[in-house]
Amino acid sequence: MARARTTADAFNAIAEPHRREILTLLKGRERVVSDIADAMGMNQPAVSKHLRVLREVGLVYVHPEGKQRRYGLDARGLEPVHGWTGGFEEYWSESLERLNTYVKKRQREEDR
Amino acid sequence: MTPDTALSDRELMVSRLIEGPRDVVFEAFTEVQHLSRWWGPDGFTTTTRTFEFSEGGVWEFTMHGPDGTDYPNWIQWMEIRPPDVIVLRHGEGPDDPEQFSSTFIFEEGTDGTRVTLRSEFKTKALRDRAAEEYGAIEGANQTLDSLATYVAGRSERPNE
Repeated sequence: MARARTTADAFNAIAEPHRREILTLLKGRERVVSDIADAMGMNQPAVSKHLRVLREVGLVYVHPEGKQRRYGLDARGLEPVHGWTGGFEEYWSESLERLNTYVKKRQREEDR
Repeated sequence: MTPDTALSDRELMVSRLIEGPRDVVFEAFTEVQHLSRWWGPDGFTTTTRTFEFSEGGVWEFTMHGPDGTDYPNWIQWMEIRPPDVIVLRHGEGPDDPEQFSSTFIFEEGTDGTRVTLRSEFKTKALRDRAAEEYGAIEGANQTLDSLATYVAGRSERPNE
């Protein structure tokens, strides 16, 4: 089966361990690329590539400051992940919503 | 049990109106071809190994999470009273010590059918855990726990 693009959504983006590490580094404070690269022992182009993926799914924002671009964590991008790990209420309200859609669809088919 | 009975500290309840007649709604619980179309949160799919819709019968299936993680599920129907009530036991397998009991009640109304689910857990601790992190997605929490906890605790949002 083909794999989903890393930029498809937050789930795919954080499947990669380095990107999770970057998010952890950005917790609580903004950092420039060189700072992240040093902390991770990676080269800057590799880090920039990961940052681009994280930006595309809305997990990271850029804050230009003079010549520097500072990166920060946008926790709102993690809401789908958080929602997915949500509990009983989430599980069943989503299931029953799907049931409602399915029941309506079946009735439309019967009407034909 | 009726939907109106007060909840104990070992129970969870959810209820919603389904826009359709009760027999159609009830039927959606009785066959895999229906259940596989709606059972599970957004992004989940199910693969069924065995299915027998009868009292004492079992539904064994795997839930596939959006990230490809698989979760074993085992359900045994304890009571089937069409088109009013379904009671089942739910766990990861027949010997899962954390199995819980779920009662679905179907009530016909003018706008559709109200489906009420009450789940009763063995202990308050298990109930509390299910409220926070549904058993079926425990595996996901192992990887995502720190991120999810962070989001939950983060009240301040970054500048646009």
